[in-house]
Amino acid sequence: MNNTFNINRFGLLLKRQWLDFGKIYLISLLVVAGVLIGFYFWNTPSLIKYKNFNNVMQFRYGLFLTLGFIFISVVASSYFALLGQKARATLELMTPASTFEKFLGGVFYTAIISVATYLVLFYVIDLSFVKYINAHLTEFKLDGDNNSLVKPAESITADILNDENHLKYFLHFIAVPFLITSIFLLGSVYFNRFHYIKTAISVMIFSGVATYVTYKTASILTQGLVYVHHEGNQNNRDSTLLFILLITSALTLIFWTIAYIRLKEKEV
Amino acid sequence: MEVIKTNYTLVYYLTNTVGMIKINNLNFGYSKHKPLFKNMSMQLSNGHIYGLLGKNGAGKSSLLKNLAGLVYAQSGTLEVMGFTPAKRQPALLEQICFIPEEFYLPSVKIDSYVKANAPFYKNFNHSYFFELLKEFDIPANNKLIDMSYGQKKKFIIAFGLATEAKLVIMDEPTNGLDIPSKAQFRKIMASALTDDRCIIISTHQVRDLDNLIDTVIMLDENDVALKASVEEITNKLTFKKVKELDESIIYAEPSLSGYNAVMPNYHNEDSKLDMELLFNAILAEKIKFKPLFN
Repeated sequence: MNNTFNINRFGLLLKRQWLDFGKIYLISLLVVAGVLIGFYFWNTPSLIKYKNFNNVMQFRYGLFLTLGFIFISVVASSYFALLGQKARATLELMTPASTFEKFLGGVFYTAIISVATYLVLFYVIDLSFVKYINAHLTEFKLDGDNNSLVKPAESITADILNDENHLKYFLHFIAVPFLITSIFLLGSVYFNRFHYIKTAISVMIFSGVATYVTYKTASILTQGLVYVHHEGNQNNRDSTLLFILLITSALTLIFWTIAYIRLKEKEV
Repeated sequence: MEVIKTNYTLVYYLTNTVGMIKINNLNFGYSKHKPLFKNMSMQLSNGHIYGLLGKNGAGKSSLLKNLAGLVYAQSGTLEVMGFTPAKRQPALLEQICFIPEEFYLPSVKIDSYVKANAPFYKNFNHSYFFELLKEFDIPANNKLIDMSYGQKKKFIIAFGLATEAKLVIMDEPTNGLDIPSKAQFRKIMASALTDDRCIIISTHQVRDLDNLIDTVIMLDENDVALKASVEEITNKLTFKKVKELDESIIYAEPSLSGYNAVMPNYHNEDSKLDMELLFNAILAEKIKFKPLFN
């Protein structure tokens, strides 16, 4: 018997975890769907007033990011939260699966399943509203001209994929949701109570200190120096985006590793 | 190679009457300044039902948690069937049935719980499990959340025993059980003991398990105050009702008709072990008992 990883045992563990985690997860997903639909109903503009729906559907980006952050962070923060309760922790730790498998189960549900289902849910709801709007285009007139139709709306996915600039940003920020889930997953193992709020406060303090230290260090290092501008704006931006991708990916791996170690060290 | 070696080790421990649990110079405490165990050492073998006794805070539950790998010792070694419990390896975990005092069960039906959890235990015995449920009067289609505390406890005991785990650890198993259930529990546990199984039961309610336990382990003052089989205890000590106290009595408690006394068994008399009396005697006169059991 392999005591570190066994694919059959891992499959059994995922199935077992779903029994407990699945119900809460599906309820949260329903809440997210309700909030999304509510926002779309409230913010989808009256067709008659606008020529280009994409301009007035900008609310989607803010909604996508805010709700996405809340959803994936709450899911990640609740995954190992049960380890804070003695009775539940005993049951979890005594389940005959390795700590690595239990950790991987956490990554699977919080990073893969939660992010993927959120994307699919957002895509489906957004596309439904866009389809609905576009199906009713002919009913509206523009500036009293019967022959002039308003420009059809585009789904948020098409909007991102068709715009080279949007796509570039999207790809370079792809590790950010995993970074968020890794931080909150670590918080759910590390803290015994009030996981979400404690993690959020820790992140705020840590980010504040890191920003201050970076700013101060940069100020000291560049004191008395002047910025020399070269023809390389595009390159600078590209390398910054690449740095963002590399740093967020590295931080994600670091937080996952710490979460695994904390899980191994967990006592009841 | 390591995997094969581990499996051979497990087979060896399950097929021989050996020290299934080896504790060597174990130091453990929840804080460094307040140790719970100081250089504790002992060996426990298969084929026995051990009764773990001790005052509140003596470390009974902590010792069980150490055996199950739920807490980490500060120093010393602890081996269970050749494994280190702190590593929480699945090969060992599937051989441990741990019934904690406080437990949690999800809000699902018995059937769903078994489907989700039983496959982790390759020796899980479904027919035995349903037999135990029947014996405990628990309807098999019940939802776990709707059951009373006592029923839940009986359910986890039934599930734990059906895993066919070789090490059964129970922390206050009779708490919350009604009188008929305690009798059922004793009957089931007596039949659950096999040559390859080691059962450790921690309890305050010694009278519940009087006839079940074959070896007594008593914890006091950071160490094992007594570890002896019931046979050894009754060979060395006699438990009697006496009218008057004399010098041969090691410990006595007043009763309605005189005294309940413990004294050395110089004349090989047969007496029934009074666990409660022994417990109080050991705590009060540890120094006097020590030479008898060393």
